[in-house]
Amino acid sequence: MSRLSADIREMLAEQWEYRELLWQISRRDVLLRYKQSLMGFGWAIFMPLASTIIFSVVLTRVARIDVSLPYPLFAYSGLAAWNFSASALRFSVTSLTVNTNLVTKVYLPREVFPFSAVMVALIDFAVSSLVLVVMMVYYGVWPTWTVVWLPAVVAVHVVFTLGLALPLAMGNLYFRDVKYLFEVAIQLWMFSTSVLYPIENIGGRAGAILRWNPMTPIIEAYRDVILFGRTPETVPFAAVALGALVLLAVSWVVFHRAEFTFAENV
Amino acid sequence: MARARIVVDGVWKKFRRGERHNSLRDLVPSLARRMVRTAWGGDLQQQEFWALKDVSFEVQPGEAIGIIGPNGAGKSTSLKLLSRILRPTKGRCDIRGRLGALIELSAGFHPDLTGRENVFLQGAIMGMRRTEVARKLDAIVEFSGIGPFLDTQVKRYSSGMQARLGFSVAAHLEPDAFLVDEVLSVGDMSFQSRCIERMQEQIRAGVSLVFVSHNLQAVASLCPRTLVFAGGGIAFAGPTAEALDAYLRVSQNAERWLEGAQPSFVIREATLTSADADLHALRPHAECLLTVVLECLRTEPCFNLSIQVERTIDLLYCYGSTTDELGCGRLSSRAGDLVHASFRLKAHFARGHYRMNLNARDPEAARFLMYTENIAAFAISETATYDGVVDIEPVVTVRIQTSAPGQARQDRSQPSGQ
Repeated sequence: MSRLSADIREMLAEQWEYRELLWQISRRDVLLRYKQSLMGFGWAIFMPLASTIIFSVVLTRVARIDVSLPYPLFAYSGLAAWNFSASALRFSVTSLTVNTNLVTKVYLPREVFPFSAVMVALIDFAVSSLVLVVMMVYYGVWPTWTVVWLPAVVAVHVVFTLGLALPLAMGNLYFRDVKYLFEVAIQLWMFSTSVLYPIENIGGRAGAILRWNPMTPIIEAYRDVILFGRTPETVPFAAVALGALVLLAVSWVVFHRAEFTFAENV
Repeated sequence: MARARIVVDGVWKKFRRGERHNSLRDLVPSLARRMVRTAWGGDLQQQEFWALKDVSFEVQPGEAIGIIGPNGAGKSTSLKLLSRILRPTKGRCDIRGRLGALIELSAGFHPDLTGRENVFLQGAIMGMRRTEVARKLDAIVEFSGIGPFLDTQVKRYSSGMQARLGFSVAAHLEPDAFLVDEVLSVGDMSFQSRCIERMQEQIRAGVSLVFVSHNLQAVASLCPRTLVFAGGGIAFAGPTAEALDAYLRVSQNAERWLEGAQPSFVIREATLTSADADLHALRPHAECLLTVVLECLRTEPCFNLSIQVERTIDLLYCYGSTTDELGCGRLSSRAGDLVHASFRLKAHFARGHYRMNLNARDPEAARFLMYTENIAAFAISETATYDGVVDIEPVVTVRIQTSAPGQARQDRSQPSGQ
């Protein structure tokens, strides 16, 4: 128990000592992400927009699903939020292994690499959200007072993503298989989440399992507070919020304890 | 008593040789093996070795300590432990205060960012605040000499420029303890001497320095005390001049000179004396006497002895001669004989540390019968400022003849103080 509290004190002291490092590393990654690309931040908008157009055609003309909203709005809100998690985690997975030089040669709290991957994705998310605003104006969907919930939803989403980013980065450092497994898992996970279609439509045993998917309450909370003008569904959202906090705390402590072996194992 | 700034106390570090399981395929068998064994950190398992064995030392505020030793002796591992990149398997490493580690100067540099962007990034990596970097930016740029290239991408820099910029950022960190690992070799001569000056300034200001280098000259000029690492342990700790001798002892392999043959002689006694008494503070030109007693192990019908003097710091060959050339003729001895030899000599050397080697050779076959390095050592301490190896005892007069007509001025002569 005393070891745990010593570790937590050390973790927080380090984050304080290196408080500007996260900002600097994130800034570097943002600068680098779109350096030497003509579209720059345009890519942050283009990617979910392209998917929205594709899925709008497929799922409204071919499969026909009812979401009680203009479908592109439904799909884009889901995709923008989903893409935040997916790209944050995708960059987290390799964040330690591409920074081998820093991991093996310099001391700094190694959390900054996955954390900065999440920060960069968060900036992309903010940029791509502008398109959602434009789409809402186009479809005449106006937010109500429930939009004050938005910061809470984003916070839960970020905490949950951070909690996954740390073990993924660490896992890939030890076993490079993680990178490949991740790509498969993230695809599967997207289609198990209410990104493109509401999963409550899925019945049977598969549906029962999918109710436990923690990403669904997060994505639905976004739609609830922005598009539907209602508060997030209390029980699932509270459960996910609590779970995200516990996940982050556990994975951070584990990460912190393991980080002293990173230089030898990278 | 002042508390040590850097404490290394009984540190052991274990590494694994060969490839680690980096994919899941290798993990399962390795886990299975581990289940069977009782895993405890103290025992060496297959493929493991101790990179550091029970290393302890302390560095006080304002103290500079050098670390020298052959490759793979554990020098860099110790620095990585001190800088918290690695954790010791056993023992304790502590640094009180802010640490500046100049281990890999441009590790944090990203080739696609400009020099300016990299200065801020590197500063943050070293734990500096943004405002602190901004305040010191001019000094950093000035020191590095990057000037007009500050807003150029670092990938266009030469490796020397990168290293200079990296060092400049680190040099302005104002740490309490500095770890420097073989980083001066990159910049040019003038930059190197600026770096050494900068470090000397910081030491005077109370910073502790741990300096790892193969540049013995730089170690000698920065560090009064030096540790010699060999095979994962500290082989010697003490004054730098003696440490250099110890380093040469561990890194030289006398056997190779004998080409596998057994030596025919063994030294029973070797003493160097001087009327100046202290061999570590001789005046230039001091008279010394080297006496040696060799025991002949194998009958040698024809041999000579040779003596060499080398400068300790860089093994510069300063003098060498043989008993042949010195007029003793060729020698012969039978097994069991004792050979007494004495060399009366004058130490016409410039200030520095020197050591002597003694060989026995067969002049006909040009092979060594005995090769012994460092049978004696001495140091010249001289306060007059001159550089080089020998003291040529110059006596100087300078005369200035004016060309202006009608002004026959007195010539000024300045005899030297010799």
